[in-house]
Amino acid sequence: MRNRLSWTTASKIAWRESRASSAKFLFVIVAVAIGVGSLTGVRGFSRAFYGMLLREARTLMAADLSLRVFALPNAQQTATMDQLMQSGVRRTWITETLSMVSSTTVPNPLLVSIKAVDPHVYPFYGEVKLDPPGSLAHVLTADSVAVSDDLLLRLKVGVGDSVRLGGQPFRIVGVVASEPDRMSGSLNVGPRVMITREGLGRTGLMGIGSRASERYLFRLTPGSPGIQQVRQTLQKAFPESLIADFRETHPIITQGLNRATTFLSLVSLIALIVGALGVATAMQAHLQQKMDSIAIMKCIGARSREVIQIYLLQTIGLGLAGGLAGIAFGSVVEAAFPPLIARYFHLQPDLHWDPSTAIQGLAAGILTTLLFTLPPLLGIRKIRPGVIFRREMAEVRPGWKQRLRDARASLAAGGAILCGIGLIAGWLQIGTLRDSVRTGVVFVAAVVVSLLVLSGIAWLLLRSVRAFVRRWPRLLPASLRHGVANLYRPGNHAQAALVALGIGVMFTLTVFLVQRGMMAEMFKSAPPGMPNVFLLDITAKERDPLIALVRAQRGLEGAPDVVGTVAAKIVSIDGKSIDSFNLKAWGRRFQRTRGVAQAADQPAHTAILRGAWWNPKAPQAEPQLSVAEEAAQILHLHPGSHMEWEAAGRTIRARVAAVHRIDEIHMYGRIEFIFSAGTLDGLPIIYYGGVRVAPRAVAQLQRATYEKFPTVTVVNVADVLEIVQQVVDQIALVVRFISMFAILAGIVILASSVAGTRFRRIREVVILKTLGATRKRVAGIFSVEFLVLGAVAGLMGSLLATAFSALLLKRWLDADFRIDVLPNLLCIVLTALVANAAGWMASFRILGQKPLEVLRAE
Amino acid sequence: MIQVSGLTKTIATPTHRVDILKGIDLEIPRGQFAAIMGPSGSGKSTLLGLLAGLDTPTSGSIVLDGEDITGLEEDELALLRGRKIGFVFQSYHLIPTLTAEENVLLPLELSGHAAGGVERARELLESVGLFDRRDHYPVQLSGGEQQRVALARAFVVRPPILLADEPTGNLDTTNGHMVLDLLIALNRREGTTLVLVTHDQQISEQADRRITLRDGRVVLDA
Repeated sequence: MRNRLSWTTASKIAWRESRASSAKFLFVIVAVAIGVGSLTGVRGFSRAFYGMLLREARTLMAADLSLRVFALPNAQQTATMDQLMQSGVRRTWITETLSMVSSTTVPNPLLVSIKAVDPHVYPFYGEVKLDPPGSLAHVLTADSVAVSDDLLLRLKVGVGDSVRLGGQPFRIVGVVASEPDRMSGSLNVGPRVMITREGLGRTGLMGIGSRASERYLFRLTPGSPGIQQVRQTLQKAFPESLIADFRETHPIITQGLNRATTFLSLVSLIALIVGALGVATAMQAHLQQKMDSIAIMKCIGARSREVIQIYLLQTIGLGLAGGLAGIAFGSVVEAAFPPLIARYFHLQPDLHWDPSTAIQGLAAGILTTLLFTLPPLLGIRKIRPGVIFRREMAEVRPGWKQRLRDARASLAAGGAILCGIGLIAGWLQIGTLRDSVRTGVVFVAAVVVSLLVLSGIAWLLLRSVRAFVRRWPRLLPASLRHGVANLYRPGNHAQAALVALGIGVMFTLTVFLVQRGMMAEMFKSAPPGMPNVFLLDITAKERDPLIALVRAQRGLEGAPDVVGTVAAKIVSIDGKSIDSFNLKAWGRRFQRTRGVAQAADQPAHTAILRGAWWNPKAPQAEPQLSVAEEAAQILHLHPGSHMEWEAAGRTIRARVAAVHRIDEIHMYGRIEFIFSAGTLDGLPIIYYGGVRVAPRAVAQLQRATYEKFPTVTVVNVADVLEIVQQVVDQIALVVRFISMFAILAGIVILASSVAGTRFRRIREVVILKTLGATRKRVAGIFSVEFLVLGAVAGLMGSLLATAFSALLLKRWLDADFRIDVLPNLLCIVLTALVANAAGWMASFRILGQKPLEVLRAE
Repeated sequence: MIQVSGLTKTIATPTHRVDILKGIDLEIPRGQFAAIMGPSGSGKSTLLGLLAGLDTPTSGSIVLDGEDITGLEEDELALLRGRKIGFVFQSYHLIPTLTAEENVLLPLELSGHAAGGVERARELLESVGLFDRRDHYPVQLSGGEQQRVALARAFVVRPPILLADEPTGNLDTTNGHMVLDLLIALNRREGTTLVLVTHDQQISEQADRRITLRDGRVVLDA
């Protein structure tokens, strides 16, 4: 059949149709705008913050990507790096080695860790802070060095003095107060000496066979290939190297970023679904009112597809208008909030107009509007023209085949909505395609399950309320009875309202609960007392006096944490010699001497991944051993494996009891093999200590330690940890702020979904008044209805939110979950109050409605 | 020409069945003005609705202008209405969000004949005496005025058949007369077949023919 109605005419009719009822349309537009606004607001805001956090993370590596090689690159490898450089990937070469530095004032030379850099390029991110202040590029030359303050202390020299390195004199131009990639570098033993590459050449230290760690730092530029691609290219060219990108600089940051990413995506999705709910209720109510107009159009010769065409255009127009308003609203929120909370933020997020967020928001707005209007739009086909002619034109109940055929369109629409939501959810996910697919599927599954559960509970609840009121009609006061009865009267879509409200509550509360669980987890992994000064190479004799000395220091923020290690070498695993293992790159460390420890009880912050920790009280037939996850993976160890070790001429045979994971920030985290207590007794033990000190007191601690224990090395990572802590704090703050915004949007949407029933209520009020109900009576009835509706929706939502957040925290965010009663209770009460307030906001004017006006319009 | 034979309509509620029409046979020649009368619940409005294809009969056939409409799909019926049938309702049923002129124009636009439609719409509004109020919305018009706009809308596509369901039922005597006179005048001028459902004896007296229904059957046809 030819389509007689041109799109131009259809849009003309659609426009006329909307122009006259601007007030009602405003409501729809506002609902769409809130949805899109919360989406773009949350999204833009989280993007800006994510960018900021990543920048912070980059400073810990001083680059986007670092490549650590164990041999200098060959011609082909150099060519690959040059190719990358031509495509816009900048790079700089860093060499770190150990050597001795001497001065005229102290007889013994000092072991130092030398770092040769190109001061004009290095660091790509962050800065090397010098004292006296200056830029590395300006002060560092071929005959000068910058050193850490402990070198000055140990060699009794000052800035401007000269030291000898590799027989050559170098002038000290400044103290390295902080160095961005201190943690990601290697050979962190002894004081730092920073030197230029020419300077390193002058020393002649880099002869054949010298032990040095070579690193290349890369910085991507806007036109260059993406990080993943660069990584792959390098991986191919340097199969035996260690490649890390800025997301892996520090375990806490990696974890924090991952969690923040997941969480922010989640919140965006929830903002979307909450917004979509608002759009759906608004559009449903809108088309419901258009029933008569649609029937009239059909009476005067319009086919369903033409009517659908008209309303489709109108819907798109509304989606577009709402979307644009939402983007404006979102950017206002995005821009207005950071200054309000500026004093809590150390760094300002880089907020700029991001067209991709806006386009995404607009597309998501129109798409959700369309998706959710699909069922009512398809319903247009079922509106019979006779509706206006004879309202109760009931038909003979069709057979199941017919009903199935009728339901086909609705089922298809439902399927389309779910697919659409899945696609949008996948699209919003930051990460790989696989992440997107997973997110899409998980999200759709969550929506379907919640919809089914909520509808089921709502249905059951309404049934039981009805049964109760019917069975004991006189038990309740009249207003209460009528209010409750209102919930199941035909025409009151209480079940739909319950589901909509329940979903809104569920998502909003989920955000809150997940946020709380995640915060608790994040603070646990980066506790305030985390060590920021490490004491290396402590002998057994020095151990106790050193601890006493440290304890006596000012500015101590936590007790020192000391772990004893024994130098041991793996001989064989399950009878197979370690030398026959084909180990690559960093894995070769297992063929050399490693520091191992012993412990009776499972150290704090340890997670056992496989096997079980031994019972310290029960006697063991043979020594037991717990292996760190990575070592177990490389050496194919599993509980039950047998290892043979050699330490100081003694052979130790032990059985692997467990595979564990410890956050690297703890002292035990640096040790990959922990034996059962007693195994290592009698072997020479070297202790390592960690302590948390106020940053300003670190220098004093270093001085005091050096004076009494000159062989103990003190490594100061206070400045680095401060960045880590800052990142964690910022993630926490951003997450809180964004969830607050999502919760706020949720409340507004809840209000509008109740307000969506406004036009139906006008009729109810009028009929009640005509039958003699006073305003007070009507108000009472409505209040009961809203409160019951809200409380029930709150209850269902909070139950589902608890289940949902438990799932998310455990499965997705690797965090603990515990049931929180107070927020759930609060949520139920708040939902009831919000539903009541929203109901009244929407019905206040209705109460004053003159019955005749409405009845005459019937 | 309208031919109706063996027309029945039954509706079923969950508890019982109601036979609204129990076998109607009718033939209304082109250009005739037929009034359908009868008490409440006799099936007048249902018959009219079936003639307009607004609902489907349980059995029997309806042939309009040589075209059997009983087997037609919903959309085909809509097309047919757009081409052949004008309808006037008791409660006017104008689209509240459109102005008088836009309401009149709508059937032309829906059938894809909007070109020159504005002139036709204005001419009809002129003939029902509402040219000056063409930019008013239905709520700004009185009942009589709304019904006159509905008349203009019904005639705008020059339908061969016009069906009217108690078009004066909601109006006072003066307005009722005015609308009826207009309806008959337009009917004569445009040469349409007019089927009008009414309770009003006086109105039926102006018709060429009076068909009386009772309990779903034709009891008088004169």
